[in-house]
Order: sequence, then structure tokens, then C-alpha cells
Amino acid sequence: MKTFEEKWTAWLDGQLTEKELIDFEASLPDKAAAELEKRDAKKLGALLKRELGTHVIANEEFFSHQLRERIARENVEPFREQAAEVSPWWTIRRLFWTGTASLALFLVFAVFVMREKNPAEQSQYLSQILNARVDPVVSPNATISMFEAKGDRVTVLWTEGLQSLPADYAAK
Amino acid sequence: MVRSLPFVIAFIALIMSAAPGLRAAETVWSGLVIAENVAQPESIPPELTRIERLLKELFGYNQFQVIGQSRKTLTTGQEDWLATSKFFGLHVDARGESEAGYVLNLKLYKEKELLLETDAKLSKRSPLVIKGPQVGSGQLLLVLVVQ
Repeated sequence: MKTFEEKWTAWLDGQLTEKELIDFEASLPDKAAAELEKRDAKKLGALLKRELGTHVIANEEFFSHQLRERIARENVEPFREQAAEVSPWWTIRRLFWTGTASLALFLVFAVFVMREKNPAEQSQYLSQILNARVDPVVSPNATISMFEAKGDRVTVLWTEGLQSLPADYAAK
Repeated sequence: MVRSLPFVIAFIALIMSAAPGLRAAETVWSGLVIAENVAQPESIPPELTRIERLLKELFGYNQFQVIGQSRKTLTTGQEDWLATSKFFGLHVDARGESEAGYVLNLKLYKEKELLLETDAKLSKRSPLVIKGPQVGSGQLLLVLVVQ
């Protein structure tokens, strides 16, 4: 004994016998609605068959696709092997040049840093004369110079031509 | 504990930033020195012992006498002071302190007359010697040392 759903499916597919068809259609409460549903189901079936059918690869196509991929892989492999043979030599060369460039860069920076640092180090422990002036009216011929006695870490401001004074000025 | 963490970090940062400023007070000795050649030279003042050889070689005198001096302890690096003899005065105006030393403005007066003015950075490890005017057969020197 078929269920209603089985009869409904068979009716949609047009697989009922003449007697079953008469009995089934008589049992439908709204035959017009059922007919409409049958037409929709057929349309949907046709649509699915058309759309899904385009994505399905036939067996021969699938194998030929696999074959093409394998040929492509095999064609690429020799190049990769060549590259693998060449790469160690390039790596050593590249390492050499990278090392040389790094060393050169380090030396350049070291020189600049030491150049920058030396004057600062000197000024850290040696006194400095920033500027000096004498009254040109009192000592018109006076000259000023400065130097550092680095061995003794003494900075000297040396004046010449200042107004000479009598010995009395040496009094305490 | 977690709430107090930012305050602890801020406190430590404050201490660390203030640390360079917390330096022991240092004394600057400023001297007016008369260098002369005499038959019986007196021993050199202790403040000049360290640079005795240089002074003798540089100026060619065998005696160095202090005619005026001042010893000033600097706390802020902004102090000023005067070292005087009977006729000379050395006015020292400290204008700030750096890691290397003190920035000073120095003025040498003969009575009220300005003879020489200079700005200098006095290092804590390096004395400053200034050759002043000829006085009789000798020479006036100004010496500044951080002690």
C-alpha cells in the first residue's frame, strides 16, 4: 500500500497507472492547486537539471584536467631542480657581499660617531674660554689668545699688551 | 596594589630625573697670583701645587705668591663672589652648572677700572689660568680651580 507522499511523487513524475491516476486525482481536495504545484515542480526540475549540469565535469574531462596538471608540474620540476642546484652558490656569494656591506656601514658609522664624540669628551674635562675682551681705551694694543695644556689639563687665557703697572700693585 | 603602581612608577621617574641635579656642593678657589723671579723663592701655595710645573714652564718665573683669594662653595651654580687684593679685584659670576662644570663670567678690575672680561666654562677637573697685566718685574695671574 503506497503512502500519499509516494503517490504524490509518482503523480508528479507521471508514473501512476490509469486506475491509480483516477483514484489519486479523485482524492485530491483541490485539483487545480495540485496541477499548479505539479507544473511548478516540473519547472524547478528542469531548471536544476540545466544549471547543475553545466558544473558537472564529465569523466573524460576530469581525467584530461588531471593529466594536464601533472604535465605542467613535471615541466616545472626541472627548473626547480636547477634553481636548487644554483641557490647554495648564490647564498654564499650573497652572504659575502652582505657581510662586506655591513662591515663598511659599521666602519662609516664608527668613524662618524667617534668624530662626534671626541670634542665632547675633551670639553668634559677641559675648561673652555668662551670669549674674552679688554677695554680698548685702557689697553689699545692688547691681544688675546687661548690654548689648552692638555697634559696638565689646564686652559690658559693669554693676554699681551695689557697696561703695565708699577710694582706697588703687587701688594696684598 | 595595582592602583598604586602608576604612583610608584611616577615617583621613581621623578627621583631619576632629579638625580643628576643632586650633586655634592663643590668649592671654587679663585686666586690673584703674582709671579716673580727672586733669588730665594718661597714655596708655592698648596692650591697651585698641581700646576706648579706648568706655571713655571709657561711663564718663566720661580715664585708664585697669592695676593688675593676667595674660596666659594657653590650649591646652585648661580652664586657670585669677589677675590680682592689691595689694588685688584676679580669678580666671578657663576651663570649655571652643567655636567662638565660651571659657566662663569670673570671681570678683572684695577681699583674701579675694568681691565679684562671673559666668559669661561670651568671644568671640575681642569684649572683655568689667565695671564693678567705686568706688575713691576712680575706678572699678575688669575687662577681658578674647582676643589
